[in-house]
Amino acid sequence: MTQLIVIGAGLTGLMAAHTAAQAGLQVRIIAKGMGANHWHAGTVDVLGYHPRDSRQPVRRPLESRDVLVAEQPGHPYARVSPEEMQAGLEAFTRLAQEAGLPHRGSDEPGRNLLLPSPVGAARPAFLAPEAQLAGELGRDEPMLIVGFQGLRDFYPQLVAENLGKQGVTARAAFLPLSLVTRERDRNHVQLAKLLDEPERVAGLGRALRGLVKPGERVGLPAILGFQRHREVLASLVEQVGAPIFEIPTLPPSVPGIRLHTALARRLEALGVRIETGMEVLGFHGEDGRVLWVETETAARPLKHRAERFLLATGGVLGGGFQSDHTGRIWEGIFHLPLTLPQERSRWFRPRFLDPAGQPVFQGGVPVNGNFQPVDPASGQPVFANLWAAGNTLAHADPIHERSLEGVAIVTGVAAVKAMVGDRAPANS
Amino acid sequence: MHTISWHSVELTLDECIKCNICTSYCPVAEVTDLFAGPKYSGPQAQRFRENGQPHSPDHSVDYCSGCRVCNDVCPTGVRIAEINAKARAQMVAEHGIPLRNRLLGRNELLGKAGSFAPHLANLALHNPVSRVLAEKVVGIAREAPLPRWSTEGTFSAWMKRTRHRRLRSDKKVVYFHGCATQYYEPFIGQAAVMVLEQNGYEVLVPPQNCCGLPMLSNGEFDAAERYHRGNVARLAGFGLAGYPIVGTSTSCTLTLKEEAPELLDKEDPGSQALKQATWDIFEWLRELHAEGQLSTDFRPLSPDEERLVLPYHAPCQYRAHRIGKPALEILSLIPGLDLRESHARCCGIAGTYGYKAEKYPVAMDVGRELFDFVAAQSGAEITACDSETCRWQLEHGTHLPSRHPIEFLAAAYGRYDLERRRAVE
Repeated sequence: MTQLIVIGAGLTGLMAAHTAAQAGLQVRIIAKGMGANHWHAGTVDVLGYHPRDSRQPVRRPLESRDVLVAEQPGHPYARVSPEEMQAGLEAFTRLAQEAGLPHRGSDEPGRNLLLPSPVGAARPAFLAPEAQLAGELGRDEPMLIVGFQGLRDFYPQLVAENLGKQGVTARAAFLPLSLVTRERDRNHVQLAKLLDEPERVAGLGRALRGLVKPGERVGLPAILGFQRHREVLASLVEQVGAPIFEIPTLPPSVPGIRLHTALARRLEALGVRIETGMEVLGFHGEDGRVLWVETETAARPLKHRAERFLLATGGVLGGGFQSDHTGRIWEGIFHLPLTLPQERSRWFRPRFLDPAGQPVFQGGVPVNGNFQPVDPASGQPVFANLWAAGNTLAHADPIHERSLEGVAIVTGVAAVKAMVGDRAPANS
Repeated sequence: MHTISWHSVELTLDECIKCNICTSYCPVAEVTDLFAGPKYSGPQAQRFRENGQPHSPDHSVDYCSGCRVCNDVCPTGVRIAEINAKARAQMVAEHGIPLRNRLLGRNELLGKAGSFAPHLANLALHNPVSRVLAEKVVGIAREAPLPRWSTEGTFSAWMKRTRHRRLRSDKKVVYFHGCATQYYEPFIGQAAVMVLEQNGYEVLVPPQNCCGLPMLSNGEFDAAERYHRGNVARLAGFGLAGYPIVGTSTSCTLTLKEEAPELLDKEDPGSQALKQATWDIFEWLRELHAEGQLSTDFRPLSPDEERLVLPYHAPCQYRAHRIGKPALEILSLIPGLDLRESHARCCGIAGTYGYKAEKYPVAMDVGRELFDFVAAQSGAEITACDSETCRWQLEHGTHLPSRHPIEFLAAAYGRYDLERRRAVE
């Protein structure tokens, strides 16, 4: 029998499954659709802002984490020790490396990177794929931001102007999209795949060489190849003779999809099956244990039996929670207790961009120190063989904290370690 | 005229968060800009089709191949492919259906007609002159991989011929053969019978007709509904009596399970009984295996000690069944089989899509991902896929023979000749 079923194929589910496979468990992932990686920038944000309403980005996230957990003992980061946090991030770095998509952090160990967003704002990230590193705002070289005429959702003038307001020297230029394709209505992922073809890269390289001035670095929308991304980047750097970096664009995000694809293929090579299109609609529990979960099919529910289950379906944004117009909000599979307000008027604060964030994104499933969902009244696990990790968990605000991937990776790894008993329990 | 209702798909429409993951994975939109992609043709254009709007706003939806990659990857569960299928039906209702699509929808009729004189029919259809004519006059691509009629009689005729040899047992299962097995590839049915009998089941093959899918995918809902009613009348009783109805054609079983009842809004007890009783044969064998009831008396498939390299491509319909890849799980039990799982999104043919002259190049471009995958598997001299049109397309694109997984399973039981494609009894 399957020893572990992970529900959800986002970063949490992938990291949890990888940890389980490493520990020798026979593990399978089932998921409704593609994971939330497809919306992410491809970076690992561990802690970008603390306190949440601070305007100053966090410089050293692992140090600020200590302050955070002292103030918020319920935070998912409080369930792991600093060493475990470090170990989780290292596990990700190794996996990404094996998967052929290396990620690195700042040259100064422990520091956040500051990278340009698609509107030219500063984005604190702890780890980034190689292709984004030359965009570090703290570097000296002036930037040339290049967009493509006719490409949606990327406006180099806007990026350059906003960077300029932050003291980064940047100018903008347009190239014709016909360098990549003459077809209409291409989205960023399709363009990235077109750039896997060397002739197109050669054309783009020639055009960029004509634009760049000595000493500049070049920022482009993140469309530089898909399967052959690293070769495409290396070839452009060589042709242009300048550092080149990608700026992740609006979803669907090419760096996020590259990361998902690379990790998924690596997991499959390790024997982990990932099955999408499987929406878990129910489960069967007996004597405090989950015996099976049921997915929806074209005809009848399909039972998936396993010894253990790990819930990694995300929160409101990831699709793990459901709600209705009466203000009821619930965890969609096991109906686990939530810390969320069951009143619609309390989901949101009056101001859309309130610096304190929105309560509906801050609640979730309460767990014990071993990442087992608990009944808040008794503190006892709801099911003996159920664990939860990632943005399903209560008491984080990944949007305001900029901690989405950090929480996913660190808790995904730690939950499985707790499950297999390979872990000293965190004391906080 | 069939009234096109938006009943069930409408419910999923509001779930679309416009994330464009579907467009990013759509294999058709990736190779042609004639199709704007699932988000635009589906949930986006849908806003202009609802509430009795007289005209369909987006005719490029005709370029949707119906492969359902979009449904599979959608993180919020929008039924995009069904939205598109209904949109095509609305276009047919407004503008009528071209002769070519009417022909392609009539799989059963063509099968029957050719089976009277299969040699003659094969000669008449499969010669260069007719194929050029068929392209020029009707619009069926001259290179597209059309099947040949069986020259050894239909599957039902084989069942009748061999009835004295067939297993009688208290354990019974109904077999839905579909048109392709009946008229073109009766050996697929033979392999299925061998496998089911090996496991101690008596195989019943009651009268049945086309599942109606070719018509549904060409927007001819009225005619499809007549076929579906026929199958409900003939088969629902078996379901109600507790017999499983298994099929080797992943598209037919999908239609009986879901496509027909959903697209035609069939909620009557007969349709529901048929839906609940229908299984893909490997889905059913997997259940058997989970209960410890599947015979695992296998012999290796290659005569020498070498492992048989077998690239396996799960057809798009499995995505719509939402049952994973049961054939892969069962085949992996066979010793000496080196299975290579394809992650290609689609072979391109998508039922009748790749037969259409204007869509043939799109279908071949879509299939390239799969053809390249097969070419990269060194030592592979044969491939496997559950769906008939996909196998024909695979053979066309790779120049390697392709077989149904049930043929490998029957051969592993020693009851089927993989080379000559016939039961060994």
